[in-house]
Amino acid sequence: MSSELAARFHDAIENQEPRLRTLAAQGRRILGYFCTYTPVELIHASGFVPVRVMGGVRTLTKADTLAPSFLCPYMRAALDKALSGEYGFLSGIVQGYTCDAACGAVRIWERNIPGEIYHTIALPYCDSPSSRRFLLSEIDALTVKLRAIGGTFSEQSLADAIELYGKIRRLILKLYQIRYDERLSIQASDFLAIIQAGFMTPPEDYLRMLEDSAPITGPSVASERGGTRVLVSGSLVEDPKILDLIEESGGLIVADDLCTGIRNFEPVSGFGLDPIQRLIDRYMNRAPCPCRSRVSDRAPFIEHLLERSGAQGVIFLFQKYCTPHLADHPSLVEHFKAKEIPSIAVEMEETGVNEGQLRTRLEAFFEMLR
Amino acid sequence: MEKTGKSRKRLRAAKELNRVVTEYYVECGRAKAEGKPVGWMPPMNGAIEIFYAMDIQPVFPENWSPICAAFGLAERNFEVAEGMGYSRDLCGYMRNIIGYVHGLMKEEGTPLGGLPEPDILLSPGGGCVPVIKIFQALERRFPNAKVYPADLPQVPTEEIRQHHVDYAIAEIHRLIDFLSQATGRKLDQDRLKEVVKLSDRSCELWDEIMTYRRRIPTPFSAAEIGIMFVMVTRQGTQTAVDFLTTVRDEVKEKSAQGLGVLEQEKIRLFWDNIPLWYNMGLFNHFEGMGGVVVAETYSSAWSLRLDVNRPIEALALKSLKSYPMVSCVSVDKRVEMVIKACKEYSIDGAILHRNKSCLPITLGQMDIKRALEAELGIPSIVIDADHMDSRNFSVEQFRTRVDAFMEMLLARKS
Ligand code: SF4
Ligand code: SF4
Ligand code: SF4
Repeated sequence: MSSELAARFHDAIENQEPRLRTLAAQGRRILGYFCTYTPVELIHASGFVPVRVMGGVRTLTKADTLAPSFLCPYMRAALDKALSGEYGFLSGIVQGYTCDAACGAVRIWERNIPGEIYHTIALPYCDSPSSRRFLLSEIDALTVKLRAIGGTFSEQSLADAIELYGKIRRLILKLYQIRYDERLSIQASDFLAIIQAGFMTPPEDYLRMLEDSAPITGPSVASERGGTRVLVSGSLVEDPKILDLIEESGGLIVADDLCTGIRNFEPVSGFGLDPIQRLIDRYMNRAPCPCRSRVSDRAPFIEHLLERSGAQGVIFLFQKYCTPHLADHPSLVEHFKAKEIPSIAVEMEETGVNEGQLRTRLEAFFEMLR
Repeated sequence: MEKTGKSRKRLRAAKELNRVVTEYYVECGRAKAEGKPVGWMPPMNGAIEIFYAMDIQPVFPENWSPICAAFGLAERNFEVAEGMGYSRDLCGYMRNIIGYVHGLMKEEGTPLGGLPEPDILLSPGGGCVPVIKIFQALERRFPNAKVYPADLPQVPTEEIRQHHVDYAIAEIHRLIDFLSQATGRKLDQDRLKEVVKLSDRSCELWDEIMTYRRRIPTPFSAAEIGIMFVMVTRQGTQTAVDFLTTVRDEVKEKSAQGLGVLEQEKIRLFWDNIPLWYNMGLFNHFEGMGGVVVAETYSSAWSLRLDVNRPIEALALKSLKSYPMVSCVSVDKRVEMVIKACKEYSIDGAILHRNKSCLPITLGQMDIKRALEAELGIPSIVIDADHMDSRNFSVEQFRTRVDAFMEMLLARKS
């Protein structure tokens, strides 16, 4: 399935553990985070490698000892992985405050997984001069904490990190443009791999991987695939199988509103007089996740993506029990209905999805869209 | 034992409580009728005192949910919300209130007169996700209400620093400005001090009342925990202070006379997480085997004092601490509080309600379980249930598990 282009990204995902272990053994310090609201630039500027903690596709054996079954599969799988020692290369977790699941997970990890720092940045919900001043203090407090464990934050290192991540985001967004124009040669699951690899690869290396990938910077390849154009919306998609299933059932994923997708990259950077202000500006203007924004912010964002990509419908991909996304769902559906944008919802459980049933539902959905 | 049922209450104050509850809801309805501004707000923060000080009627949609559960209205509300597409996996408070405002609220004849429409919505930017999303749904349901988009940093209580307090203070000032503009009412500083003083007094009384439960036998059990109604809806009023004084006097008197819930109190239990509002009778179930629930995590939410001389700062701190203290924002603090309570209240065993309707209070529970065992040797059981949705609760399973647990505890003690 995967094209050559995507092969190295798949490889980065498959071999993340040994790679990161080696890196840690060589003295690089690695810090984990859960949500894309975490200012990775700050972690990087302090001399740590930021790695997004993922759950992956696995059979859970240990999560039950610490978490209820009704925690989202992502957080359960991540916890399970950590309890199995697979995150031994992490020096801890730094997380931007988002939902209850992630908030609680930081504290549970802190009590049960060895690490030097477990910290949640209390992100403000509202954007105002006073909330930005607050966030500045919150950032200062974190840099002090990081310094205590060997962090080397400076304004210059932050400027460098902002530039580095800006380059990455720009390249990925270019890839999105190619995708919207239906000139992308790879399928959605490969596209996801390219993005996922970025979560677990040191950004300098990841940038090189992206730069070396011809279709991103070189001439684009015309798509040979057909299918009904759709947008997928949700939190994380970890198992690429679901995307394959959509595309095998007659869909063509041309856009996404995922946090393993576009929400991680928009906006590229922020405005401000100094690096910290630019950082603050970016995170205050981040592409909206439901736990940090209203439907009235999310709907226009998704609509814009629909327009830009020409997607004819929305497939909601929910992590089972994911309150923020489930809570917004009815009003988003209502909003889209009024605009005659059809949608369906799929729940991704810990054990995956019921393939047969889902295929039938998807086929009917695409049939209706045609 | 039934799937739903009221608890047997032994305090005389329980009757008084019924009056206080009814009066509160009558007052809410009357406020609307008389043109007094009605503001809906989430519980457990310092805005309630501001509302009372500015003579704005506070209404708590989350408190309405236990009332719906007690009156058997929750099923109907769930049906409406689920019909709108709200998932059964969402917190029961959320499904209940959304179902209510889109269903029963539009009809006549609701118990206690129902809730009056809001003129103001204090829409939170902190607390759990369901409570944030409840208010965002209310914004859409009541488009004419003036919305105050609030903000509040979520920090473990032990990590609160000056900049958190400063921001929370700035937010309270912003709220006061908003309310002045929205209602044309000014905040009188002396009145605020008075309200904060009453609020602090109610916390003090609350703590005092709870300490009597340390006595063996305990003068009252979790079956009476409905008294916290005044802490949710009436903080900062004389009504709360008067009611709590009545409770305190009765409990004190019972303690002095050595009167307990049970004559022969054999097992003292701790309850973690929200009670099952549709079946408060569960708390009486233990009594048949000589067990009493003498302490619970939930009641610690009001165990904090307010500095009357710095009212705004006191309210800021209250806002910052209340929710983290009982949720997964502060797991360490919660574990510490449970350990302390289990020592002080001479607890024999703990019942951990794994609450399908409340992830933030359930997360961290297994850490509590481990700490209880490791530090105090106190055994506990996990009960799967739901504080709002009786469909997620099996009486049979509850009985089997609890009875076996009680037998084990009894055997250990003898
Ligand atoms: S969707 Fe949820 S999991 Fe994903 S980044 Fe946003 S808050 Fe985090
Ligand atoms: S936003 Fe949803 S998927 Fe992400 S951590 Fe929270 S509950 Fe899990
Ligand atoms: S604290 Fe728990 S019960 Fe209360 S609204 Fe939040 S999730 Fe629901």
